[in-house]
Amino acid sequence: MRRLAELLQSKQISSTEIVRGCLERIEETEPVLNAFITVDEEGALAQAAAADRRRAAGEPLSPWDGIPLAVKDNISTSGLRTTCASRFLRNYTPIFDATVVERVKRAGLPIVGKTNLDEFAMGSSTEYSAFGVTKNPHDPLRVAGGSSGGSAAAVAAEQVPWSLGTDTGGSIRQPASFCGVVGLKPSYGRVSRYGAVALAPSLDQVGTLARKVEDAAILFSLIAGADPRDAVSAGAPGFPVPVWDDTVVRGLRVGVPEEFFSSGLNEEVEKAVKRALQNLADQGAVLQPISLPTNEYAIDTYLTLVTAEASSCLARFDGVRYGERVEAADANTMFAKSRGAGFGHEVKRRIMLGTYVLSASHYEAYYEQAQKVRTLIKQDVARAFQEVDVIVTPTTPTTAFKIGEKRNPLEMYLSDLYTATANLSGVCALSLPCGVDSQGLPIGLQIIGDHFGEELVFQVAHAVEESVGRGTGSEV
Amino acid sequence: MKYDIVIGLEIHVALLTESKFLCSCATAFGAPPNTQCCPVCLGLPGALPLVNEQAVEYAVRAGLALNCEINHFSRFDRKNYFYPDLPKAYQITQDVFPICTNGYLEYYIDDVLRRTTITRLHLEEEAGKLVHSSGSIVDSEYSLVDYNRAGIPLIEIVTAPDITSPRQARLFLEQLRLLMLYMGVSDTKMEEGSLRCDANISLKPAGSTVLGTKVEIKNLNSFRALERALEYEAARQSRVLEQGGEIKQESRTWDERSGRTLSMRSKGDAPDYRIFPEPDLPPLRLEPDWVFRIRETLPERPLERLHRLEESYGLSRYESTFLVNYADFCQVFLELAEEGEDNTDLANLLMGDYARLAREQGHLEPQRLAGLLQILQEGLITHNQGKAVLEELFKSPLSAREIVKEKGWEVLKDPAQLKGVVQQVLTANSELVERYRGGEEKLWGFFVGQVMRTVQGKADPQMVNELLKGELTQKS
Amino acid sequence: MIDRQDVMRMARLARLELSEEEIELYQRDLNSFLVSGRKLQQVDVSKVEGTSHAVAVIGELRPDVVGESLPQEAVLGAGPQVFNGFFKVPRIVEGQE
Repeated sequence: MRRLAELLQSKQISSTEIVRGCLERIEETEPVLNAFITVDEEGALAQAAAADRRRAAGEPLSPWDGIPLAVKDNISTSGLRTTCASRFLRNYTPIFDATVVERVKRAGLPIVGKTNLDEFAMGSSTEYSAFGVTKNPHDPLRVAGGSSGGSAAAVAAEQVPWSLGTDTGGSIRQPASFCGVVGLKPSYGRVSRYGAVALAPSLDQVGTLARKVEDAAILFSLIAGADPRDAVSAGAPGFPVPVWDDTVVRGLRVGVPEEFFSSGLNEEVEKAVKRALQNLADQGAVLQPISLPTNEYAIDTYLTLVTAEASSCLARFDGVRYGERVEAADANTMFAKSRGAGFGHEVKRRIMLGTYVLSASHYEAYYEQAQKVRTLIKQDVARAFQEVDVIVTPTTPTTAFKIGEKRNPLEMYLSDLYTATANLSGVCALSLPCGVDSQGLPIGLQIIGDHFGEELVFQVAHAVEESVGRGTGSEV
Repeated sequence: MKYDIVIGLEIHVALLTESKFLCSCATAFGAPPNTQCCPVCLGLPGALPLVNEQAVEYAVRAGLALNCEINHFSRFDRKNYFYPDLPKAYQITQDVFPICTNGYLEYYIDDVLRRTTITRLHLEEEAGKLVHSSGSIVDSEYSLVDYNRAGIPLIEIVTAPDITSPRQARLFLEQLRLLMLYMGVSDTKMEEGSLRCDANISLKPAGSTVLGTKVEIKNLNSFRALERALEYEAARQSRVLEQGGEIKQESRTWDERSGRTLSMRSKGDAPDYRIFPEPDLPPLRLEPDWVFRIRETLPERPLERLHRLEESYGLSRYESTFLVNYADFCQVFLELAEEGEDNTDLANLLMGDYARLAREQGHLEPQRLAGLLQILQEGLITHNQGKAVLEELFKSPLSAREIVKEKGWEVLKDPAQLKGVVQQVLTANSELVERYRGGEEKLWGFFVGQVMRTVQGKADPQMVNELLKGELTQKS
Repeated sequence: MIDRQDVMRMARLARLELSEEEIELYQRDLNSFLVSGRKLQQVDVSKVEGTSHAVAVIGELRPDVVGESLPQEAVLGAGPQVFNGFFKVPRIVEGQE
């Protein structure tokens, strides 16, 4: 991106040209990929023209002014349809920008369009979208991952240079891993959630996807920092783009949790991740076996909490103020019909589950119990960070699976096995490619950092990226 | 059998903040529908709540005034239920950890000081307003929703079931209203819904310690409604029990027109609000210093003022109660009492004709009232004339003294002149004088009246009496 | 075990109209979820409090200053049914959960 910025600065390329390039690429690849729900050609070109005028006047808004991005379609964009991949919101156009959108606009980034996702971000494959499945650019028979599948695929297929996604249990990192791009889930509270449509507010974070670690960091630097409109972001520091220093790896204590390398982990994935770990060790890092024993419960805990919170967050979709309404003779029937028709299976399933675990007679046994196990998981992670600087794991147990392969919802939920822990404990985590398997499918490596430890995570990721780039980490 | 009545109240008080509880929309009453709304109070997807500091301060002030413990840690919860006036389909409230607990309110029943325990006081948000097509929810084909009111801060105050009569319930509520008014936390206008009350009532055999089944009465929007509804309900329950029936635990609504409580249709299961901690808002932590400052600057409470008026100004309970109930009159009183006016005269003036006129036309400048008191004290006019001067003060810009002068209302003070009038009257009625002297004493009043008529009421009645006495006895 | 009645009750609470097929589907899903929920119930949590917020932050409070509200057209703009400045809803039947 620095090169692109330089080209823009030296007028060798215009924002309009870049945006046109994106639109052409989209036109070319979309019929197969289906990464976008809405492409805003007109709006993007208008924003690009404005960026070019600013450049011509010598007043760019930022070094990145004019470099376009794509935004996951559960992040509100004023005047641009935001569907959450739901039939219920298929005609909903927000009247306000999410804080992250406001911030990227303030830096001059044109928005090319809104990317596909699992409906309301509930899923790990972008198959549960009312707007069709997003295909993996590496193999269109396979899923792009999810729920930020559109944002990951669009970046991987070079439809856009970078994108925004949301991550509640792995929704940025898992598709980033499947599509072979870099994806960051920031520490809880580091980025404003205002305007991002909630799935589970105690877990949700907006994050960045890009092809390079540095680009993910640059985009993150544009959106990070406290927002007075999101109470839980109070006290969050901003994020300056790091000065890269691969020597941070020397003496770095890298935690390797045994629980993340146990049964269920695909052999090729394990091999690639271990090779990357060995590379870090070769550069002077100290690999430390650690234990996160409660990770065993992460998925069940996650599932209980996320369904509970989601059942409440999605209750507002009642057909009174916005959204698709199915008329009925009385209000309650109108609610039930509108919701019944507006939501897909997975959404209804999770609302049912969430309603169950919150209902008076099950609250204590399920919801409250899960909150307490969450405390144990947090304590495990906190304990680990007293001994190590970062934790490195595979991002997912396998590479991208085939479309339609996972029919059982519980099986699908296991995709988040290695990622949910970071959300439950509020720390930051990043996935970056560390190789490909025998079928040429990307393998993701996850670097988990302490709360607000994004700088170190990016430094380590940068070092890994360099070593992978030198060919020592990849089979192909 | 005789029964004891057991009553507990739940009172909602709308706080007098400028902006709403969780967003910055105005709270003003009476704006056109849906003009005081924003993404937050409309529950638009992605919008997030932010707590109004003033609302917290008002809740603490109210809690301190009610002798509550102020909890330095309190938490917000979501109460989930669907209703067209509830934009998010959950209400943000405080369920498990309320901001204030365990207080009491003291008030007089006749001359006995009583105390009612306040179990808890918590913050929550108001819902929107419904307008029903036919005027009543029962038979309306459709309803209209206005969200201007949605999100106004409320405190809910819950009493222990230690109220034992409908009248006591009313007296309690009157005192509570006054307290909220004195604390400046609410305008307490019941007609605008800023003070609302639900009542729980049950009966138990006299002296028994076992509580009976309670019934909740809603829609009590005046003091009179509260007392009447409770009286009706006590009688109804007593009748049911006498006939060997059972009281059904239910919600009933007060129907003003028929003067009865009516069972509210209950269909399906009991409500299940699926309450859980609000993830969008961090818990509320109050600095002890901050609470201390509020405590130190707490306004005078009505009961304190009552005792002060009695003790420091020598007023009767009746006079003090009047002044406490009408703080504006009290202010006039205190200001003039400060200037050394006779307290009882002053109180009587305020409670008499002045009260009627001031309520119709607003208060006079206290100084103008002081002028009236002064000429009354000087004996410049009679008390009867005082009323006329008072009426004039409300119409004319002139001072009391100027009015008297202009109207020529000064009392005849020259005894010689008045004596002449008296003699004239007696001469003109010599026959009656004879009869009086003959023992017909009731004629005295006639003579007084004749003298007063001759001088157009401008004589000091005492002087007239003395002169008449002198004339009538002298010559006998 | 979650029976059909439970499923219907959850659907009523969540205001979801479900097809016959969905009722069966979710009954099965809820039951298989219970297995996972029960796994959590084995964990000893006697020594901890529940975590309701990912990070313990001291929330900043908002000063009581009136900001701009949306114009009425914008408020009602996305409303499926509006009338005279109001959102319109069909008859409200009291007493349902």
